[in-house]
Amino acid sequence: MEIIVSVTVGLLVAIGIWMLLDRGLLRVVLGIVVLGNGVNLAVFSAGRLDGRAAAFVTEAGAPALAANPLPQALVLTAIVIGFALFVFALAVLKRSFELHGNVETDRITAVAEKPAPDLPAPAAAQPATPASGAAAAATTTATAGTKPASPPAALGAGKGAAAGTRT
Amino acid sequence: MLASIGLIVLAMSIAAPLAGRMGERAGWLLALAPLAAFAHFLLQMPLVAGGGVVVQTLAWVPALDVGLTLRLDGLSLLFALLITGIGTLIVLYAGAYLSDHHHLGRFHAYLLGFMAAMLGLVLADDMIAMFVFWELTSVTSFLLIAFQHDKPASRRAALQALLITGGGGLALLAGLILLGNVGGSWQFSALSGGAIAGHALYPAILALVLIGAFTKSAQLPFHLWLPNAMAAPTPVSAYLHSATMVKAGVYLLARLNPALGGSPSWSTILITVGAATALVGAVLAIRQTDLKRVLAYTTVTVLGQLTMLLGTNTHYGLQAFAIYLVAHAFYKAALFMAVGAIDHATGTRQIALLGGLIRHMPLTGFAVALAAFSNAGLPPFFGFIAKEFKYAGLIELGVAGWITTAVMILTNALLLTAAGLVFVRAFLGREGCYPHPPHEVSLPMWIGPMLLAIGGFVFGAFNNLAEVWLIDAAVQAVSRTAVPVHLYLWGGFTPALVASLLTVALGVLFYLQRTRLRRRLSLWRVLWRVSGDMIWDRLLKRIFAFATRVADHFQHGSLRQHISWLVLAIAGFALIGIVASTADELVWPELTSPLNLAAALGCVLAVAGAAAAATMPGRVALVATLGASGLGMAMIFLASRAPDVAITQLMVETLTVIFLALVLRRLPPTRLVGSRKPAARRFHALVAVVLGGVVTAMMLMTVSQPLPGDIARWYLDNSLPGGKGANVVNVILVDFRALDTLGEILVVGLAGLAAASLLGGGRNTHAAGTAGGSSARHGQGAREGSADFGSVLLRQAILPLSGLLAVVSLVLLWRGHNLPGGGFIGGLVAASATVLLALAFGVERARAVLRVPPVAMLAIGLAVAAAAGVVGLVQGEAFLTGNWVFPGGLALGTPLLFDVGVFLTVLGAVLHMLLRLIEREA
Repeated sequence: MEIIVSVTVGLLVAIGIWMLLDRGLLRVVLGIVVLGNGVNLAVFSAGRLDGRAAAFVTEAGAPALAANPLPQALVLTAIVIGFALFVFALAVLKRSFELHGNVETDRITAVAEKPAPDLPAPAAAQPATPASGAAAAATTTATAGTKPASPPAALGAGKGAAAGTRT
Repeated sequence: MLASIGLIVLAMSIAAPLAGRMGERAGWLLALAPLAAFAHFLLQMPLVAGGGVVVQTLAWVPALDVGLTLRLDGLSLLFALLITGIGTLIVLYAGAYLSDHHHLGRFHAYLLGFMAAMLGLVLADDMIAMFVFWELTSVTSFLLIAFQHDKPASRRAALQALLITGGGGLALLAGLILLGNVGGSWQFSALSGGAIAGHALYPAILALVLIGAFTKSAQLPFHLWLPNAMAAPTPVSAYLHSATMVKAGVYLLARLNPALGGSPSWSTILITVGAATALVGAVLAIRQTDLKRVLAYTTVTVLGQLTMLLGTNTHYGLQAFAIYLVAHAFYKAALFMAVGAIDHATGTRQIALLGGLIRHMPLTGFAVALAAFSNAGLPPFFGFIAKEFKYAGLIELGVAGWITTAVMILTNALLLTAAGLVFVRAFLGREGCYPHPPHEVSLPMWIGPMLLAIGGFVFGAFNNLAEVWLIDAAVQAVSRTAVPVHLYLWGGFTPALVASLLTVALGVLFYLQRTRLRRRLSLWRVLWRVSGDMIWDRLLKRIFAFATRVADHFQHGSLRQHISWLVLAIAGFALIGIVASTADELVWPELTSPLNLAAALGCVLAVAGAAAAATMPGRVALVATLGASGLGMAMIFLASRAPDVAITQLMVETLTVIFLALVLRRLPPTRLVGSRKPAARRFHALVAVVLGGVVTAMMLMTVSQPLPGDIARWYLDNSLPGGKGANVVNVILVDFRALDTLGEILVVGLAGLAAASLLGGGRNTHAAGTAGGSSARHGQGAREGSADFGSVLLRQAILPLSGLLAVVSLVLLWRGHNLPGGGFIGGLVAASATVLLALAFGVERARAVLRVPPVAMLAIGLAVAAAAGVVGLVQGEAFLTGNWVFPGGLALGTPLLFDVGVFLTVLGAVLHMLLRLIEREA
């Protein structure tokens, strides 16, 4: 049984990493969940799976073949913390979509990272990328309340605009 | 001594709120702290003057023989009195000088923080403690120079000062560590000179310590930060950059003179560098047109002379060192404060615009006159005695001393000229032309210069006073052997007096010819063109360019590349471990437990679900497959006899799906999977497979070995007798490892707060949002429940269901100690019940049912959990020790209370996020 679980852990980790390397941020966030599941299972099975009874004890003492309770306790809290982390990541994803109108991993970097105010801006002007175009359109909509004049090529201008009205 | 530092730190911490409430009057109250410290050190004077020392020790790192040892000897006392005495006046002065500044409180806090650090520096006997205080003074100096941080010049000057003194600090740390190892002690007072001077590492120690001291005390070629530091407000210049902090380097040299001094290299380096610094500073001072910069460069000169005097190590030289230290601190702080007052009153510090100020500012003018006489080295002021002893000390050296004396005559003549500029040019003669009509400044601004200037006169005229109480003990602390100390104004017709007369004559000549002199100096264009500042700028630019090139290589902003290399590096290290393993460790696991069909099915489901989520494009498919994967996980846990874990996983999966469904509605559909380029896709697949393979191998290696230790058995055996619970997993969570759990629910709580703030503002922003066009629909969810739950039948079914769930959650919480359940599971179930209610009947309704806002619930939960721990503490046991009572056969204990805290925290955190999200999205 441990062999099967070991292979499962490896597969979950591999799938999780693959998802982390995805182009869309949504799948990156879900990759965290899959990777977390793999790691939880690894910790869990490190306590071995030879238990025949759940870890409950009576006055007479513990069952001879009780499951290992320590990894169970560790994994239980890890699941809840992993959930909190997942929701936080999801919140960041949602917020960055509202702000930048984009959910692609590498484009977010281009939009979100601005040079420090003291330093002269680099020669390659930022607004050239379609991503920040969407962000700009969203801001315009928020103030003027009209349809964006130049719909960005890449992704959901309408969504960006809808987000803009709410921000 | 510790108490006086602590008092100043206390004043620092209340400075900001106090200044916010009292404005400029806060200075009067805050000045009490340094005043009390000053009084404390004054009271120590008889003891120290009699040759005694006061030692206070606080254990810090006893294992490394590092302690917070404070030791008050003559040298420390001299510095401590200067720091606290001048500090008191400066705090008063700053309150008036910056009275209209909106960050006055911050300024006071920085200033007092610096004062505490500087006091620690001069009192510390332990090298490491001294170094920590040393760095703290650099940091506070940085903050104070950059106080007007909206000006680029201030920021540049602050950074320059920090980089130079900080870089020197690194050298100093290395030097001190070497010194401690060679000298065999971390205490300055326990170092012996003989053993160190003969050691092979002596040159390295000397070089490193000198770099540290020279950078701090602005010696050539590191002097350029000090004049630039004049960008700071004047109280800072007066206090840090003339009277105290810049003298830290000189202090260190004096402190180490008994241990390191006496070698020819010590004398040669100190005298050469000191004399060169003094001369360059004096020449540059005459060139300046800004009164404050004149003073800044004369400070460089004085620091050079002090360094030089330590290098002489003669009787007169060391006496001159101590006298000059005090004399300079008095007159320079006074002059700086006076220049600040002139700036404050007239709006300018340009020498060309000033003149005849004595008519408008008689009190300041009187103080400046006294200070300038001391500065010029005229009798009967303290500066005169300093100058006489300086010459006498140099002449003692022989031929080299005569050459140095000649240089010093020139330097001091220039100092006299500078003093003339400050007093004669600004206060006498024709009326200047001022931006504002000049007026006398308020009491806090003239009292400081006045007291200090009078001090310089009193110490000069009644020099026996200074000798007995201050100078004698200080000189003995600096010197390697006992030095007979005797101060006098008139020592007969000596070579020193001749040199003095020559200095005055030359100084007056320079002053009268100052216009021609300055014109001559500016003819040496070549010299000014290659200024230190320019070299500094070029150097910094090069370094930044290099750093940018390196950083661009590694910080290119591509998340996927970062992850790829990180993963490959992890896999690489793991592979090294696997390759390095012995044959016994690389066996196929034999002792495996038999196949558990349900668990194996769970494995298949978990992997299949995850694989589908990784490859399927649709959003609904994502939610469904990910849910299936989580279900598989729950199956594995359940089949492996872990009911608590399985239930938790199930509840989390349920909530995950709700969150995903709510957020996904707003996100654009994901059409593509993976990268666009096939090569990148192949690379990413390779990365994933490599790590997966390595992890599998590591897992197999782990399970092939027998489980070490008996920790599981210990928990099983002690759960009931020790933890009063039959559910071992729950007992571990709330009792045995409760501190872990406390940290974990704290993380959950923080994540909940952070996520909720990102998921959308509170109800107020929501209300503002409804004014927009497309929001009629999303406002409805909050008020009436989602349209998806429109069916009356469904709603009627949900009402009892959520009530039932709420009851079940409480039952789970209660029975968790003995049966599957507990705070985590109960909290998640209760959250599900509330969410169901919110979806069907609206968030308003759900909030009304809850009565307590989720964020309050979260806070209460954390407080309850912590309070459960404190019970143990009150009983004299460790934090979170379980305490039990048995009323009527019922087992009640603090672990149960702790579990209630967990329940509330989890419930509060989840609801805080989810209700916000539903409000915005439903």
